Amino acid sequence: MLPGLEWMVWTGPTAAVFIGLGLLLCGMAVWAKISPPVARRGFLRIETDRGDRLYIGLISAAVVLAGWIAVTDLSMWLALACAFLVALTIGLWG
Amino acid sequence: MGDRRLPWKRTVLWLYGITLLLPLLWMFGMSIRPNQDILGSFSLIPQRVTFDNYVTFFTNSVWYSSYLNSIIYTSMNAVMSLVVALPAAYAFSRFRFAGDKHLFFWLLTNRMAPPAVFLLPFFQIYQAVGLFDTHLGVAIAHMLFNVPLAVWILEGFMSGIPREIDETAAIDGYSLPRFFVTIFLPMIRSAIGVTLFFCFMFSWVELLIARTITSVDAKPIAATMTRTVSAAGVDWGLLAAAGVLTIVPGAIVIWFVRNYIAKGFSLGRV
Amino acid sequence: MSERTAAPAGQADGRTDDQADRRADRRAERRAERQAEEGERRADPRRRNNRAWLLVLPVVVSVAFTAVIPLMTVVNFSVQDIFSPGDRLFVGLEWFRSVSRDPEVRAAFVRTLLFSAQVLLLEIPLGVLLAVSMPRRGVWVSVTLVLVALPLLIPWNVVGTIWQIFARPDIGLGGWAVNNVLGLEFNYTLDATDAWITVLAMDVWHWTPLVALLAYAGLRSIPDPYFQAAQIDGASAWATFRHIQLPRLRGVLTIAILLRFMDSFMIYTEPFVVTGGGPGNATSFLSILLSKIAVGQFDLGPAGAFSLLYFLAVQIVCYVFFTVLTRTGR
Repeated sequence: MLPGLEWMVWTGPTAAVFIGLGLLLCGMAVWAKISPPVARRGFLRIETDRGDRLYIGLISAAVVLAGWIAVTDLSMWLALACAFLVALTIGLWG
Repeated sequence: MGDRRLPWKRTVLWLYGITLLLPLLWMFGMSIRPNQDILGSFSLIPQRVTFDNYVTFFTNSVWYSSYLNSIIYTSMNAVMSLVVALPAAYAFSRFRFAGDKHLFFWLLTNRMAPPAVFLLPFFQIYQAVGLFDTHLGVAIAHMLFNVPLAVWILEGFMSGIPREIDETAAIDGYSLPRFFVTIFLPMIRSAIGVTLFFCFMFSWVELLIARTITSVDAKPIAATMTRTVSAAGVDWGLLAAAGVLTIVPGAIVIWFVRNYIAKGFSLGRV
Repeated sequence: MSERTAAPAGQADGRTDDQADRRADRRAERRAERQAEEGERRADPRRRNNRAWLLVLPVVVSVAFTAVIPLMTVVNFSVQDIFSPGDRLFVGLEWFRSVSRDPEVRAAFVRTLLFSAQVLLLEIPLGVLLAVSMPRRGVWVSVTLVLVALPLLIPWNVVGTIWQIFARPDIGLGGWAVNNVLGLEFNYTLDATDAWITVLAMDVWHWTPLVALLAYAGLRSIPDPYFQAAQIDGASAWATFRHIQLPRLRGVLTIAILLRFMDSFMIYTEPFVVTGGGPGNATSFLSILLSKIAVGQFDLGPAGAFSLLYFLAVQIVCYVFFTVLTRTGR
């Protein structure tokens, strides 16, 4: 599509992240086809459906990671675990 | 209510009018003085009136060509954004489809994203695909925030038009494209005008991206204005003249869009 | 809950019982889904039609080219130390660590937040005051509308130029008046506080009209009888405002607050023209600092990490904005 992609300077990890995100979106689309999403109210006190919760979860996870890296030198794997936990919590009960 | 307005309201309006106009008039005053007078002594009223600054603007190719550049790419951008946004806005206002809400939100995030974030990749992309320093390149880059803007404004207007019209047309045997062009578009004339205006305006005022992805051939007037410092210092008179001239396009059409300004700025939500 | 009792029970084994329960739960969920969907259809007359995607496709493609690909590139930048496309080093999250701990970045972040807060505190009350003062009908309506809207339609860099000239102590009326009439020492090119005040005054001059126009649009939607009733009751202007006008302004003011927050949070052109971020770092806001790192120093890695953190902050506010908009719209 574009003449040469060298300027996009792809790396393995970032490509993996984007492929993961793409698959996640496709998965959500397929899931929506099988059973349409329902809006409901959880502990976030606003009406959300699956897609909304996924978005809020991802953003919150990113906030956790960013906050972690800004303040502590502890392992980022620990941060990743926390972020995953936060995203999961929001996804299930948000 | 009639004429029972309280005097304090009038006071507020007058005070506001004065604070509003003073800086503007001051710039206009600067633009019609020779530079020696500007720097020489402070005076409220120009002692000598000259139009040299305007003459310089229109005879120096750096100035008038960058003015033309801005007009060319903003016009291209406004038309392109409108063409792309019209069907999408119709879809958002008339149909529900998988992921519509999320798509609508994603568009909004692009309108709200700081242009500074996209600077470097734009620079790289446009050099890679050969659009660097072209009018088309700037026009496409500005679609980043103008397409979402156009979709939001148009959707706001279109939602105000009853759906029964679509259905009646369908019963009368109109196909969707024919209905859209012959019936629907004339109905939303004013919306199209307003959208064009706002796309034009937001592209006209944008400096950061336009400056980064151009160098000579498509350099916008805004970038030329930030580079007026020469060995002799800032040429204040010329700068002021350029300022006055860049206000003109907006000032001409402001009367026609006066009732829609709030709607345009609030993304069609008021 | 009735679903639960209707579920095929009777298995002695606890585990299958559990499974049956779960199946019943899922069935109840699906029924709730169907009901919700029907309710939605009643509330929202738009037809469900996935072919509408075809109409949206041009937008998706064009915005993907201008937004998604650049954003992916920024992500790639942010994890590498790049000397040239062929000569680069994967550094992981190192840039995020250094950028998020950079005192200059943190100072710019605080400065931008502070600026946004001051902008809101000044512009919202002023804008409402202006809107209340604007005439509701008559020949003056159009004139005031045009005059109030004027600053909004001036190119942002020209707004900068106007104030650059106006606030100068030697050649500008404003700066000259403060120095010679009020007798205060004022020079925005040398003094940090003065520069801040100039940029703030400029923003108020530039954007208060937006708040005023939005509030005015809200006020115009109040029917006349409300005012007549207030007049008959002998309500004071303040009481009329407090109990009739202000409640009606909640929706538009929310929009105004969020719009002003977003736009002041990414302010670039005006302070760049007036002060260039100076004196020192006094007015270098996030966008100014970022473009300095990106275009000035061409540090791809740090600029990428900075951009992503900035973008994250914007995403959060944007989501709040969207949620508020779509809920007040109903």
